[in-house]
Amino acid sequence: MSNVSQAASRDITDPLLELTDVKTHFRTARGLVRAVDGVTFNLDRGKALGIVGESGSGKTILSRSIMGLLPPKGAVRSGSIKFEGREIGNLGRKQMRHIWGKEMAMIFQDPMTSLNPLMKIGQQIAEPLKIHLGMDKTSAMATAEKLLQDVRIPEAHRRLAQYPHELSGGMRQRVMIAIALACGPTALFADEPTTALDVTVQAQILDLLNEQRKDRNMSLILVTHDLGVVAGHTDDIAVMYGGQLVEMAPTRVLFANMKMPYTEALMQSIPKIEDPSHTRLTAIGGRPPDLVHPPKGCRFAPRCPYVREKCENEMPQLQQSDLPGHFFRCWYPVGSPEYFESKERNAAKAMASAAPTEVPVSIGEAR
Amino acid sequence: MRYFLQRLFQFVIVFFLVTFGVLVFMRIGLNKPGDPARTMLGGTATDEQIKAVTDRFHLNSNYLTQYWYWLRGMFTLDFGYSQTNNLDVTTYLKPRVLPTLFLGIYATVGALVIAVPVAVYQAYRRDSAFDKIGSFFSFALVSIPALVLAPLLSYLFIIRLQWFPRLASKIYPWESLSGHFKNFLLPSIVLMLPLAAVYVRLLRADMVQTLQADFVTLASAKGVSPRRVLWSHALRNSLFTLLTNVGVQLGGLVGGALVVEQYFNIKGMGSLLVVGILSSDLFTVQSVSAILVATVVTVNLLVDLSYAVIDPRIRHARALS
Amino acid sequence: MTLTIESPPVADPASAPDTPARTQRRRPRIGMWFGITWLGGLVFCIVFASVLPFIRLYDTKIRVGGKAGRYNLGPGWTAWLGTDSSSHDVFARCIYGARVTLTVGVLSTVIGLVVGGLLGIASGYFQGWTDRVGSIITDSLLALPPLLLALLLVYRMDDLKDVYSWLGWLDRQWEITLTLGILAIAPFARIARAQTIALRDREFVLAARSLGAKSGRVIAREILPNLIPAMLTVAVTGLGILVAAEGALAFLGLGVERPLTWGKMISDGQRDLARAWWATIFPCLFLFLTVISFNLIGDQLARRFDIREAAI
Repeated sequence: MSNVSQAASRDITDPLLELTDVKTHFRTARGLVRAVDGVTFNLDRGKALGIVGESGSGKTILSRSIMGLLPPKGAVRSGSIKFEGREIGNLGRKQMRHIWGKEMAMIFQDPMTSLNPLMKIGQQIAEPLKIHLGMDKTSAMATAEKLLQDVRIPEAHRRLAQYPHELSGGMRQRVMIAIALACGPTALFADEPTTALDVTVQAQILDLLNEQRKDRNMSLILVTHDLGVVAGHTDDIAVMYGGQLVEMAPTRVLFANMKMPYTEALMQSIPKIEDPSHTRLTAIGGRPPDLVHPPKGCRFAPRCPYVREKCENEMPQLQQSDLPGHFFRCWYPVGSPEYFESKERNAAKAMASAAPTEVPVSIGEAR
Repeated sequence: MRYFLQRLFQFVIVFFLVTFGVLVFMRIGLNKPGDPARTMLGGTATDEQIKAVTDRFHLNSNYLTQYWYWLRGMFTLDFGYSQTNNLDVTTYLKPRVLPTLFLGIYATVGALVIAVPVAVYQAYRRDSAFDKIGSFFSFALVSIPALVLAPLLSYLFIIRLQWFPRLASKIYPWESLSGHFKNFLLPSIVLMLPLAAVYVRLLRADMVQTLQADFVTLASAKGVSPRRVLWSHALRNSLFTLLTNVGVQLGGLVGGALVVEQYFNIKGMGSLLVVGILSSDLFTVQSVSAILVATVVTVNLLVDLSYAVIDPRIRHARALS
Repeated sequence: MTLTIESPPVADPASAPDTPARTQRRRPRIGMWFGITWLGGLVFCIVFASVLPFIRLYDTKIRVGGKAGRYNLGPGWTAWLGTDSSSHDVFARCIYGARVTLTVGVLSTVIGLVVGGLLGIASGYFQGWTDRVGSIITDSLLALPPLLLALLLVYRMDDLKDVYSWLGWLDRQWEITLTLGILAIAPFARIARAQTIALRDREFVLAARSLGAKSGRVIAREILPNLIPAMLTVAVTGLGILVAAEGALAFLGLGVERPLTWGKMISDGQRDLARAWWATIFPCLFLFLTVISFNLIGDQLARRFDIREAAI
């Protein structure tokens, strides 16, 4: 089943969100920053998509571009974003306002700073209800209480009159979810919804998000740096690097059959249960590419352990693998003969330099 | 509550310290018996007059006793005796209070009315032409002392354009509203413009920061209208520095009022004080200083209270302590 | 968490591309250069007033047709900024007035800087009782409106001079300098205290203290040098305020009498504003340009050293 697919191979009826060659650039004193550089995908109603990448990969800017929530100054947008068949990529804040909160909602990373500290919880939840659904105060409050119960906040009624500082971080994130869910949006963007939370709370929040997604037949876009977070909670995963999609696939396919060395590197940086304890995790060496002057060839080439000459000179295009719905952007993908050759070469080099035992894959600066 | 009481206590202490300091300072060096009275009454005073005044105000006792009697008088609205007009200070002070109060209130309220929308819009349209022009003017206005603004405006509006009379006779709004404003508009503007400029600068800076906060973006993402985001979400969260400064600037405002009253010939407490100081009018100086200090202290206390009204975090922290 | 992705696990903020733009787009420094030019020119004229051919002595009367009348010249070639009620050259008086004003301003700033700085450092460094006493002093100095305090001080110093002979050296100019110096103590003390508290617990100070350095040595070696940017900024901005305060005092009748200062000139010209605007407006302009010059330089310094408290 292909939920995320290239526009060309669209065969499923009525996708909720269709992105075609979306670009978001910023004019700065240093030059044009290509924060999002030609992203194309579709998202079906009721599905969950994870967008994964390091900070600086453009994943947050991408989600904000779709929402139209970019800083007003200096942003240059192009490409097409269709939401329920309607072009929204060129809409201004004024027009987007009627979509925000009602049809698309967003959950931010830090629940500590994302709620208005001077406003009661109840009011903050009631606000979109009054604006979009025209509710009066009493019914808005009643709905707000119901929403708080939906997101499993105990003593919902009492919470309505409380202020954000009286709630714990997890609770506040639940309140944020309640606000986002208030008007029954069809698409929910969650930008690192669990990063600022305790590990124990993280799973609860993700489960809650998924459960609500299913209940409400809502699409969820989960933006995160952590493959572990998306693993059990999304239908599809899109990996971003340097403002581009570098690999996307249904979640299970991606984990079983990743093609892009960057995805592999991301994977190696999450701890796995079957590993013996104290297994050393691999960090990805180097820094994300400079988006003002991106590399000529593959954007990951400077950090890629399997880099070859072609990678540095020619930009690979997104191509489909032999599995349905699986796309990747790499000349010598994981599993190809060149990949193994490079791997052996690397291992030999590591041995020869008598490197300390602890560097399984030495991903240095390639140049 | 406890926090408030602490602040109250602190302010009361400052009030007593400062008023006592003024009393002592006004009398240092007047060591010989009868000296203070003689200073007050001037060289032509007879011995009986000196003795009468000395006895009435216990001018021969130590400072603390003198302070006690004066303070007791203050609370019964007996501010002492002024030789200049041969009148009780109370009688002589009464008509002076309102004009100064008008000036202060018009200047502060006017400054806030101007500053808040300007600063909010500047922050909202940061780096726009409006913002740049606003910043330019606020910087220039902050740097204009009342002493410069008063002659400039009076030359322009009184002499050149003749929009205002040189000396208005009507003072109180209930006597003649238009006369009242003709009298007070220009002096109030002199005090108001630099004050507004200070407020604009402070509020704009805070507003710019608040507008970058996540909760403001969230409010937009909820579909809240930009107007409501600005005025209801962002402004309230940016008011603290501004409020603090309404209190802080009051001292400067009093200084400005001294100059402005003198320049525009307004018979207020400021001009009374200047005359009082220049004629060694002990009780006038003490009483007017006391009133001014009390006002400054009270306003600062109110500002403190207003934090708690605005911010539930402060309210709760105080409830806990 | 054992997550070891190289970059910190923070979402890339939407405003990230905005940041380099803001730091790079420096404000033009025209303002500061304007301030430096104005003050530099003024100081030059002050220092060489008696030598420069275009500056008359401040009490030279300008005669027209053999007579020295009231305001007999407007701004023009003979007297650039006109003549005042006693037919003195307004331009010359503005320059000589600046001499007094700037001397008073600089000296009182030095007084405020030294006394306030020491008070603030002591409060911030030793804390406890020293801090409490220091706070009471600064709070009390701040509770009285500054101009009122100045009036009281100047006036009483005048009196006390007659009673205590050891104060005989006080002339008007010194009285005003001392007074304004006292006014400047509280702001300096505040910022010195705040900065000292911030510095006190920084690693290099802790290191020096743990090595057994004496308080005096730590203050002189580690704290003082780090206070300089902040104090310098406050001093420049404060100079503008003190210059304005000196003007206000003179206007209210407590100024230096000879040579006249700007405040006194404004006060003198007030009655004849309609007849001879130049006698009032030009001193106003000098005062304004001087104050704004200090503010412009101070503003630039505050940006340069990133000192928010000193920003006006």
